Amino acid sequence: MNNLIKLGVIGLLVISAATAQADVYIDGFLQNLQGARLDETNPTTTEMTASETRLQMRAEHFGDGAEFFGRLDFIYDGADMSTYEWELREGYTKFRLGQKVDVKLGRQILTWGTGDLIFINDVFAKDYQSFFVGRDDQYLKAPQDAMRIDAYLGLGDFSLAWTPRFTPNRLPTGRKLSYFNGEQIVGDGNEFIVPVPESKFENGEFAARFSRMFGSFNTALYFYKGFYKNPMGAEIVMIEAIPVPIPLYPRLNIYGASIRGPLAGGILWVEGGYYDSRDDEDGDDPLMPNSQASGMIGFERQVASNLTINAQWLAEYMIDHDIYSGQNEVNGMYVRDEVRHMVTSRITKLLMDELLTLSAFVFYSPTDEDGYARFSARYKYSDELTLTAGGNFFDGNHEATEFGQFQRNDNAYVKVTYGF
Amino acid sequence: MKTLLANLTLILVAIVVASGSALAQEDAIEIMKQSHLTYYYAADDGAATVTMTITDKRGKERVKEFIMLRMDEEEGGKQKYYTYFKKPSDISRLTFMVHKIPDGNDLRWIYVPSVDLIKPLSADDKNSSFVGSHFSYEDVSGRHWSEDEHKLLGDSTIDDAPVWIIESVPKDSYKGFARKMSYVDQKNYLPLMERYFSKKDRPIRLFRAEKIEEVDGILTMTVRSIENLKKGGKTVIAFDNIEYNVGMDQSIFTERYLKNPPRKYIK
Repeated sequence: MNNLIKLGVIGLLVISAATAQADVYIDGFLQNLQGARLDETNPTTTEMTASETRLQMRAEHFGDGAEFFGRLDFIYDGADMSTYEWELREGYTKFRLGQKVDVKLGRQILTWGTGDLIFINDVFAKDYQSFFVGRDDQYLKAPQDAMRIDAYLGLGDFSLAWTPRFTPNRLPTGRKLSYFNGEQIVGDGNEFIVPVPESKFENGEFAARFSRMFGSFNTALYFYKGFYKNPMGAEIVMIEAIPVPIPLYPRLNIYGASIRGPLAGGILWVEGGYYDSRDDEDGDDPLMPNSQASGMIGFERQVASNLTINAQWLAEYMIDHDIYSGQNEVNGMYVRDEVRHMVTSRITKLLMDELLTLSAFVFYSPTDEDGYARFSARYKYSDELTLTAGGNFFDGNHEATEFGQFQRNDNAYVKVTYGF
Repeated sequence: MKTLLANLTLILVAIVVASGSALAQEDAIEIMKQSHLTYYYAADDGAATVTMTITDKRGKERVKEFIMLRMDEEEGGKQKYYTYFKKPSDISRLTFMVHKIPDGNDLRWIYVPSVDLIKPLSADDKNSSFVGSHFSYEDVSGRHWSEDEHKLLGDSTIDDAPVWIIESVPKDSYKGFARKMSYVDQKNYLPLMERYFSKKDRPIRLFRAEKIEEVDGILTMTVRSIENLKKGGKTVIAFDNIEYNVGMDQSIFTERYLKNPPRKYIK
């Protein structure tokens, strides 16, 4: 009940702020999402992967010197714990320094790189909990509290994003989506809580990009200094004289480059990056990830009217794979290939004057022998009302692989959105 | 002698007729060129608020509102377009940019602010629908006059305005239409009506200039419509707050402004 009162107060504040300041522009949407699990062997207690009502309010104000934008979500979640939640998705001010520099300060969504739902140099926080249960595409990205500076110079565009407090990815925790804990696929009671690095200046995240157009091709160089966004490492802590592995986010530097532009009636993109695992530079620490070099190539084209198809190929080469495979074989753990391949394809078809959108996106790794497919049909009934139905399907021959660990999370969902 | 004279006359007549029709063809090209420049290249740049009303074959209406900026790089040549969506709410704040290249593939980008994503779009199909309306990309930015063969068929009137009737046939086979009849105002070169025909010569689309007003001394089509005669449905585009020659900067049509809409024009 307390939460309800809190929500009411926040709502009133937003509305009164809006009416007091006539030039604040407000819009948003109200949405209901229901998702059902399709695999009965899933070890979680709830049969729902989603059962939530969400109200998103967006407010925007332009001043002479700066502009403000806020995006606030109120959620009632009935699938799991019957709780109210609210989250500030975005809340930032944006202003200019001189003629050539733009500054964006506050909670924001950050994206760069060229991949379609696969990422090499974009290590800004993702929300796979949302992605896997049918929330809108905008929820794949989790917000970061950051300062972003973009300088538009004659030489090219230079961007810097500094996130003072490390922000990890949001991964399935076992509450609504099960995952592999190193031994088996687990659900409730195995909530995966990973301590984030201490709040210190040196533990912040720096991401930098330099980009420049060459003809109609956009080229970019990237640098990142921070941590792996997934808890890929562990440290041994003695608890009552027993050594216990505690998961953690290892240090990471990334050096990368990309190019993207029009070719053969479509769009071509190529991106590469070197993941420098700072906590395991020699590749011999069994508790830390090895460094790796990744490359991706993708192409998208409209093949018929209102039908767009793309394909991507990602290869990840693990440095010191021989040391890694020796360590993992000894422990009886899954050993990935030295080069991990993944191919993806997205097909989008628009029908009925673009009111109906059919979409399929498939990930498949021949080396990990796993895959993930997402399907959706979205119908715009009116300018305000949108109906969506979709499904998420996982498969894998090994429980330890990226998608294999989610193989019991297959789900189907329906979603109704009212925009205002 | 008689036959020689007769032959000469015939030859003369033939020359006159031939040159006459050549002249008519030249006139037709000249008219379509003038029309294109008047309609799509008015002033050096322009900004307007656009209200697009899409009515489907069952009579159901949808309304999109956006701000559109245009800048010409060369008269009759390269142009840049910038679109900022205001309504409906599911696409509000989305921005869209086109670098129009008449003799090549346009470049198109979309920016989705909720995920901070800039995405280039493949743009080999100029005939595809512009944001779900009955207008195509080509209708919005213009089909270059050099892509069709034009023939002046004669004169007529539309709402008492004298017009030239011009028939245009694509030089290369084209999905959008097989034949087009344009009714171009003889006083101001604006196309008052266009009828599009399919390969089987059935009428497929009807374009109409619904309202022409003078803005900053420039005759401007402030309301235009396209009707789909084959499947039904109609889109009406109305322009408001039109400004010409505002001295728009080139830099507006870059990724910087795709992410940071130019507030000078977008309120």
